[in-house]
Amino acid sequence: MSDQGHHIVASYDRDLEAIQAMIMKMGGLVEAAILDAATSLERRDEELAESVRRGDKAIDELEEQVNEECARVIALRSPTATDLRTVLTVMKISGNLERVGDYAKNLAKRTSVLVQMQPVEGAAGAIRRMGKTVEGMLKDALDAYIQRDAELAQDVRMRDHEVDQMYNALFREFLTFMMEDPRNITACMHLHFIAKNIERMGDHVTAIAEQVIYLSTGVMPEDDRPKGDRTPFQNAEVDE
Amino acid sequence: MNDMRKVERDVDAREVKISARDCQVWYGDNHAIKDVNVDIEEKTVTAFIGPSGCGKSTFLRCLNRMNDMIDNCRIEGTITLDGQDIYDPRVDPVQLRAKVGMVFQKPNPFPKSIYDNIAYGPRIHGLARGKAELDEIVEKSLRRGAIWDEVKDRLDAPGTGLSGGQQQRLCIARAIATQPEVLLMDEPCSALDPIATAQVEELIDELRKDYSVVIVTHSMQQAARVSHKTAFFHLGNLVEYGETGQIFTNPRDPRTESYITGRIG
Repeated sequence: MSDQGHHIVASYDRDLEAIQAMIMKMGGLVEAAILDAATSLERRDEELAESVRRGDKAIDELEEQVNEECARVIALRSPTATDLRTVLTVMKISGNLERVGDYAKNLAKRTSVLVQMQPVEGAAGAIRRMGKTVEGMLKDALDAYIQRDAELAQDVRMRDHEVDQMYNALFREFLTFMMEDPRNITACMHLHFIAKNIERMGDHVTAIAEQVIYLSTGVMPEDDRPKGDRTPFQNAEVDE
Repeated sequence: MNDMRKVERDVDAREVKISARDCQVWYGDNHAIKDVNVDIEEKTVTAFIGPSGCGKSTFLRCLNRMNDMIDNCRIEGTITLDGQDIYDPRVDPVQLRAKVGMVFQKPNPFPKSIYDNIAYGPRIHGLARGKAELDEIVEKSLRRGAIWDEVKDRLDAPGTGLSGGQQQRLCIARAIATQPEVLLMDEPCSALDPIATAQVEELIDELRKDYSVVIVTHSMQQAARVSHKTAFFHLGNLVEYGETGQIFTNPRDPRTESYITGRIG
């Protein structure tokens, strides 16, 4: 995975490859969890939602394994330079992936509640598109990791803006629905949490992209990226 | 980068102690040091790292003219200590070496008593007037060498009877006794066990409050632990010189990277 040539001690290469393979496996599971959770909501598929909830355990276990392996590499190999950055970024990325997995699990939990209620028009489709966008960002962030591609990572970072805008739009939509008919409140509250959680996934994916930039260049990006979540400054009256 | 050690170690702005410009060294036809330019700062621990034969020891030995004794060795360029050219014909190498002390890879105490090991330098340089003052220098040096408590009851015993780690600290105390300004250490811990190594490293950290310490080491971890600045030598060139935290997290030259991460270039 590195363009740096091999270590004189070959088992060192194997150790570093092993922890990176674990990250990739985790990434694959998390990507699937996002898509499945969003699909389960759209199709009102309780079984699929249940499988996403069950699947989170595997992601959590992988994170544990990554932490243990990283501790071992640090203790036994004293990594420096690129090797050090590899271990550091692997630990951070696994933490981010674990959080994204948790959000997907939460989405699936709320799906189980939402299927009992009247669907809110257009919401599930919008949520699925938002999930798809974040999943696409995650896929690119992981590809950027494999290829040590700081440019692609930077591109991912900039795309978080889109997710924020989708969340803003949904936030306003849910407010409107709730004001129109109080019977929508329960469903819209759940849907809002789902949208917010996907927006948070985008932040974690952005953090992963920043780790890729650190890994490949040795410095964290310092430039400001566009921030799109304006909901903290909004109130219900804006729509009236 | 928020390297805490960097912050801790950078508190006081430092002056340049030793400065080398366009330094070249030949052993006969062998061009051992090529165009080395480096500023070694005051009250700083500087580590020289690099593979065997890269010139780091050769360059270290240039700093107190130890290469003068090698017949076919030729040195060009300028090396200054506090702005004064150390290769100026008016400079007495013996006086220079009192200012720029040296500790070697293998502990090499004189076959004399512990007391005389320390007292030797101050005696020949006339640093003590009388026995009481000499006693004081010996005690102070042994204390600074972090070995006083272990030897204070047997100062008449031969220095060669101490353990390896103690002998090395005795040699460091001996180097300090002439009140040097710079301490050169050529692999001072390679013959020591981890505990003695830690004691010497702790001592180096103590000494840097008063001296410039330049240490050649094959242990990258040791360089990382003790030094503020690290210079990487390769095939006689000074490839990279920078703050130790930077060298070990984000080296700029791929050769440095390959070396410190244990890769084939």
